[in-house]
Amino acid sequence: MAAITIKDMSVSYNKGKSYVLDKLNLTVQDGEFCVFLGPSGCGKSTAMHCVAGLLEPVDGTIHFGEELMTEVSGGKKKNFVPPQERNIAMVFQEYALYPNMTVRKNMSFALETKKAPKEEINKRVDTMAKMLSIDHLLDRRPAELSGGQRQRVALGRALVRDPQVFLLDEPLGNLDAKLRDQVRYELKKIQTQLGITTIYVTHDQTEAMTMADHIVLMKDGHIMQEGTPNELYNHPNCEFVAGFLGTPQINLFTVRVTEVNGALVLNADSFSLPVPVELVACLKPYAGKDVHLGIRPSDLLITEDGLIPAAVESIEPLGDAHLVYVRIGEQVVVVKHAEEEAPAAKSLKLSPNPAKLHLFDPSTEKRINP
Amino acid sequence: MQNHVGIERSREAQQAQTVKIRPRWHMTVLHIVYYFIMVAFLVFYMLPFWGTVMTSFKTNSEVMTSTPITPPTEWTLEGYASAMEELGMPLMTSLVVTIFGAAGSVFLGSVCAYALSKWRFKLNNVFFIALVAATYLPFQAILIPLLQTINALNLYDNVWGLVLVHSVFGMPMCTVMMRGYYADVPDALIRQAMIDGNGMWAIYRKIVLPNTMIATITTFVFQCTSIWNEMLFALVLGGYDSKPATIALNELAGTMAAEFNVQMAGSLILALPVLVLYIFMGKYLISGQMSGAVTAS
Repeated sequence: MAAITIKDMSVSYNKGKSYVLDKLNLTVQDGEFCVFLGPSGCGKSTAMHCVAGLLEPVDGTIHFGEELMTEVSGGKKKNFVPPQERNIAMVFQEYALYPNMTVRKNMSFALETKKAPKEEINKRVDTMAKMLSIDHLLDRRPAELSGGQRQRVALGRALVRDPQVFLLDEPLGNLDAKLRDQVRYELKKIQTQLGITTIYVTHDQTEAMTMADHIVLMKDGHIMQEGTPNELYNHPNCEFVAGFLGTPQINLFTVRVTEVNGALVLNADSFSLPVPVELVACLKPYAGKDVHLGIRPSDLLITEDGLIPAAVESIEPLGDAHLVYVRIGEQVVVVKHAEEEAPAAKSLKLSPNPAKLHLFDPSTEKRINP
Repeated sequence: MQNHVGIERSREAQQAQTVKIRPRWHMTVLHIVYYFIMVAFLVFYMLPFWGTVMTSFKTNSEVMTSTPITPPTEWTLEGYASAMEELGMPLMTSLVVTIFGAAGSVFLGSVCAYALSKWRFKLNNVFFIALVAATYLPFQAILIPLLQTINALNLYDNVWGLVLVHSVFGMPMCTVMMRGYYADVPDALIRQAMIDGNGMWAIYRKIVLPNTMIATITTFVFQCTSIWNEMLFALVLGGYDSKPATIALNELAGTMAAEFNVQMAGSLILALPVLVLYIFMGKYLISGQMSGAVTAS
């Protein structure tokens, strides 16, 4: 087991004309479950393939613990440990089970390649198979398994090796929703149990939020923000991060910061909100200018004395809560109403949780409040 | 709802039937013409084969007195016995050349196809285009230098000389055929095997080969038939002691004074292995040639 350190890593497929990854710097702590999250084409899989050694960057270094795995500078390879010598395990989205081998053989293949003793291999395969409840499938071939079973075999095959780094490339992408929840839970449980440093690539923010110790949110080859799921959710450093995490999406308003009788107010066409005391200092420089105000659907409360008038457009029941789509001025926003009863009135008054306002600079899209 | 669908279906079926009941007259005439042409072609193709089989079972004297297509009055294996006397040794030569030549070319082709389809290296495409071009090379163009080379290697009139030549000259075709199959092996499988600790050769041996057995068999059968039937290299490089059966058969036709029953028996003996291969492996062969053709383009 080892920490993974990536320094100034750049990847280009066209000799430096454009970069898929641009000077990536990242540390994944020993034993951590790290999720690379981002929209498709953001470079998250590329970054993982570099860690695996399946791709060579044009610049940068990768260390596993103290061990140097990749060192390239200006397109010249100085050090490169091939994937087969990195002691990593990887699960691909398409599972990549060997069709000519039984489940047992699939799981023991890597250990046999390493020439581990036979009893040891059998013992490990049996233990892992039991852990993943695939012990009754050991003599079958991949073609005879269902999607979920193949998924487990792929996981088992990776875990049985006791790798120093565990890489998962959208491993739940091909499963149906119910199975996905179940495997997600098991995967996290096993990872915690074994304490293997793990990188998990996904574009699904729910997977990231539920499993990660550490989320790396990427866009266009850059890291937009990294941190714990809570940090990213509660303190997004830019509009992109705020919008990417959380379902339904965060509501964004354009408001003008105005000074009325010495106090700051956020003014929109159809409402105005007093600026909470703790935000006054950071909003002072924006007096007279527009800012973007982000409020998550669950932070908009329906109250009697709310300052934002809203007209109900439609209501989606979730069972324990309701998603209320309301019109505020010209804009339709979502309110997550955490009550079993849907609001009866057609026009509502909303008040945002003042501790959970997210303010962004409209030109840089960066966060304004601390 | 289900009833509805049922009614719809039976209506459709009725309509289909009415179409069948009233065939248009010109369609019928057209069909008769088609079948007439097809039967004519069938007879045209099968008659010589029929004549060959019938003649091969006749005595030499009956061959002289009957038409080739009439069945023998007295069935005999005389012709086969005489043919085997002449063809025995050459058939063995052909067998060795075919099996080892096909194995050699399939092995070389397989390795090339693996490298070309699954590993990126400089000039990858240039190599492939060169190989495809090589499959179009007319062999007579290189016959004289080839003869000189084989002579210099002291392999003239030697079974292993023919094996070598067939292995090398069969390789481009095998590469083109097998590359199509190997391209279908998912890259994720190769990457997975790499991560599981295997190098290029181990992946070839443990993953690619076992998962493409049909490709290997198909290409092998294809090579077997073409080497077995081959005459040009056999004639030029085979010499006297190690002449393959195709040459011996030709000599059978030339040297014997019109012993047609022996010639026909010899022809059938020579054709038999290829016919058997086609009957059992034809399915794979057709799909194999198709897949190679489509993916190579």
